[in-house]
Amino acid sequence: MNKPTTFLLLFLLALLGITVSASGAASKQKGAAKQPAGIEHDVTIFFANDVRGETEPCG
Amino acid sequence: MGGLPKKAQQLEALRGKKTAVLPLDSGALLFKDEKLPQDQREQLVVTAQGIVTAYNKMSFAGVGIARQDLAAGLPFLLALQKKASFPWLSANLLSRTDRKPWFKPHTLLTTGGMRIAVIGLTAQGADSLLTDKDNAVIAPWEEVLPQELAQLRGRAGMTILLSSYPSAINRKIAEAHPEIHLILQGGDSRGNMPPERVNNTLITQVEPQGKSVGFLEVHWNAESKRWEETGSENLLTDKQNELDRLGWQINRYRRQGDPTQAFKNQPQVLEAYNDMLAKQRLLEEEILRLTAEQNARDANRSRFSSYSFHFETMRKDLPDNPSVRAIVDATTSEVNRIGKAAVKARISESTGRKQEGTSEKYAGSTACTSCHAPQFAKWRTTQHATAYDTLETKEQQFNVQCLPCHITGPAAQTGQEMLALAHDLRQVGCESCHGPAQAHTLQPAAAKVGQPTMATCQRCHTGDHDDRFNFSEALSRLRCGAD
Repeated sequence: MNKPTTFLLLFLLALLGITVSASGAASKQKGAAKQPAGIEHDVTIFFANDVRGETEPCG
Repeated sequence: MGGLPKKAQQLEALRGKKTAVLPLDSGALLFKDEKLPQDQREQLVVTAQGIVTAYNKMSFAGVGIARQDLAAGLPFLLALQKKASFPWLSANLLSRTDRKPWFKPHTLLTTGGMRIAVIGLTAQGADSLLTDKDNAVIAPWEEVLPQELAQLRGRAGMTILLSSYPSAINRKIAEAHPEIHLILQGGDSRGNMPPERVNNTLITQVEPQGKSVGFLEVHWNAESKRWEETGSENLLTDKQNELDRLGWQINRYRRQGDPTQAFKNQPQVLEAYNDMLAKQRLLEEEILRLTAEQNARDANRSRFSSYSFHFETMRKDLPDNPSVRAIVDATTSEVNRIGKAAVKARISESTGRKQEGTSEKYAGSTACTSCHAPQFAKWRTTQHATAYDTLETKEQQFNVQCLPCHITGPAAQTGQEMLALAHDLRQVGCESCHGPAQAHTLQPAAAKVGQPTMATCQRCHTGDHDDRFNFSEALSRLRCGAD
């Protein structure tokens, strides 16, 4: 295999790699758009009231 | 405050499992009643300070101000606020002169990547809670809430209200303000109240006396800011089952061929058959409508917010948080020290007078033994006979909040009187059930003692203290045969 052919082959492989990685990123972005950051949140609210007394008011 | 270390441990365990935890308290944190008995004030104030120290340790995000929190006076709460690392919230506890709030009306918190607004509201009630010197008034929610919500518009993804108003008013608030997404109430509920949906607001509450804590796991859509509609899945299933049953009954009529022919000479049977066909058509239409609604809801489900919840009872076997346990122990020790000092002061004050005892009418359990030895022996085997000893074991024998249910004597006696009680009136003795018996010891035949009623027991065995108390069972177990 001569030098120009090898160069061309490597160039094509690199191009293919870039295309695949760009396509992967695009599909990831598509997934993210489905559930945009900053809109859905998970929060656990721990709530109480009326603390006096309690379970063992006298120990 | 005995349950605080368990509550703290629950919170710590939750923080270990979840990244976004928001601990909130809707109020009545400090005191039981709106007025403090003067002779208990010092002990109650020390307890309140201990509770705030424990809440600081637990890093609470916000606490609503209920009326009971003002029992030691507005200046006390304003001073205590400076020692708190969490905000005390009330949008309607205002200065009488300039109508500005005495405390923060709301706080804005960032949790789970979202800004959450928390507003506080104090329930209105008798004006006597605040003095003229306080220059304070509890304004109606209608006066403050609209402007508070207007100020917060666009600044938070979710809005929570900590309200000590009763349920009926909180429902009105929810109906008027769908932009409030959650109301944590601290009012009149007797037990844990699962979230109730009113408009676009969930209203929930844990039971009184800190016996439980609540966990509300929210998956929130900050764009729609709406809770998902409650499904009609159960109704749809019911209707489908009803249709199945009806179809089976119709088929029974058809076994003998075309019912219009088979029952042409039995008009009543034919009429019943036709009624069933009509009902079948109505059910089919209703099922179609419910299915369409269900499908629409399913398609939109991701746009709405959802939640799950549970309540955790602060059972005695739950583990304590060591740091908060240390705070509670130090506080109860201080409360006991104050009571002990009060006893010493009373004894030195009353030199020359009778030094022990509160009421001349009580004789003490030992006085009963000469005539009622078997009954006395039976009483000695009950927990009543060691009720005061349990306080001593826990070093709570000088705590005037605990004493009434661990000694013998009138319910209305003052803290000072309880602390200086005669030795023989310690424990829940014979006269706790049968009433004061000094006259009976002097004239047994003429002065009879009483028999206990349910009301006698319920002075201490209240739903709050002993929710498993059963009068008949207790009476048969403790009956001493005294006449």
